[in-house]
Amino acid sequence: MTDSARLQWAQAMVVTGIVLYIPANVLPVMTMTVVGTVEPLTVLGGVEELYHDGRWPLAAVVFLASIVVPFLKLVSLSWILFMHGKPQWQRQRGSLRRIVHSIGSWSMVDVFLLAILAAVGQLGALAGVKAEPGGFFFAGVLVCSLLAAEFYNPRMIWQTGPA
Amino acid sequence: MNNPSDMAPAWLSCPECEAPVRDRPLPKKAELRCTRCGMRVKADRGIHSLQPAWAFATAGLFMALLANVEPIMTFDVAGDTQSNHIVSGVIELAKQGYGPVAALVCFAGVVAPVLHLAAIWYVSSACCLRRRWPGVRRVSAVVEMLEPWNLVPVYAIATVVAVVKLDMMGTVDWKAGALWILVLSLCSLCAAQAFDRELVEERLEVLK
Repeated sequence: MTDSARLQWAQAMVVTGIVLYIPANVLPVMTMTVVGTVEPLTVLGGVEELYHDGRWPLAAVVFLASIVVPFLKLVSLSWILFMHGKPQWQRQRGSLRRIVHSIGSWSMVDVFLLAILAAVGQLGALAGVKAEPGGFFFAGVLVCSLLAAEFYNPRMIWQTGPA
Repeated sequence: MNNPSDMAPAWLSCPECEAPVRDRPLPKKAELRCTRCGMRVKADRGIHSLQPAWAFATAGLFMALLANVEPIMTFDVAGDTQSNHIVSGVIELAKQGYGPVAALVCFAGVVAPVLHLAAIWYVSSACCLRRRWPGVRRVSAVVEMLEPWNLVPVYAIATVVAVVKLDMMGTVDWKAGALWILVLSLCSLCAAQAFDRELVEERLEVLK
């Protein structure tokens, strides 16, 4: 794959990720049924529920992993791609890319959580968890940002001049 | 072969930005950094054997087997009890029509960790036994490719969160599988840490 194709793929992936980020956070990722009450939960809703239950350390972990990390990841990737070919901030871009690469996978917490909770979805009308379309978008954001970081090779940061 | 740099080329390529970096013999615990991007190019990390990596990978593979066979937790609501495996989440998501999400969970939670450990096992045993097994170099590239996809530690965190959430709905009990997942994540982290790429290169160079 040529470098300009890689750049284009990376840009396309970041734009797709940004577009998917909105439904991923607005739509519910699962519905929880607790003794007859059906409750749709968004990612943020799940964090809030943990917080109100007094589990704020866990709420903080989930909030960081599934809301802050994907957002920062998309923002930093857009900045890195926007700066492509320019001679400024190359070192900083390199270390930012490395950080993004190492923390990026932590947003999988929510997808795994969905899988574990969905596994108990067969306990009849009393209690159960069902996956909702938000999960699709959430997984989409994740895959897009992973692929974007994969396409944009770190050596491309050091290229200057038009792509 | 005490000093491999006798044979190495005088210039190295930075693994991050591909800038040329002049090679030199390193004193103990010193490292060579790229002059352009600051990435570590070569280091004497004090590890001179791949046996720790081999051991952690072997242990990890057994743990992966146990973690996938034993239930992680049991969940109980009004007398209805259900035990939970890693795979049951994948199956349930697929059944509810979320195939791609199920595939992602299956890959990052089961397939990639096992392949990653198996690849480390294969390369480090070839190096330790000094055997010229086929495709070692390609498998070594697979290790690098799969490392960001080995998400068992993340899965362990998700398990804790899931138990807390389920606790609001019914009775949850830890089972042995949760412990195996924890040990598995420690084993994969240690195996990845002990798998020194430069040492592998050096050993493979000798075998050739």
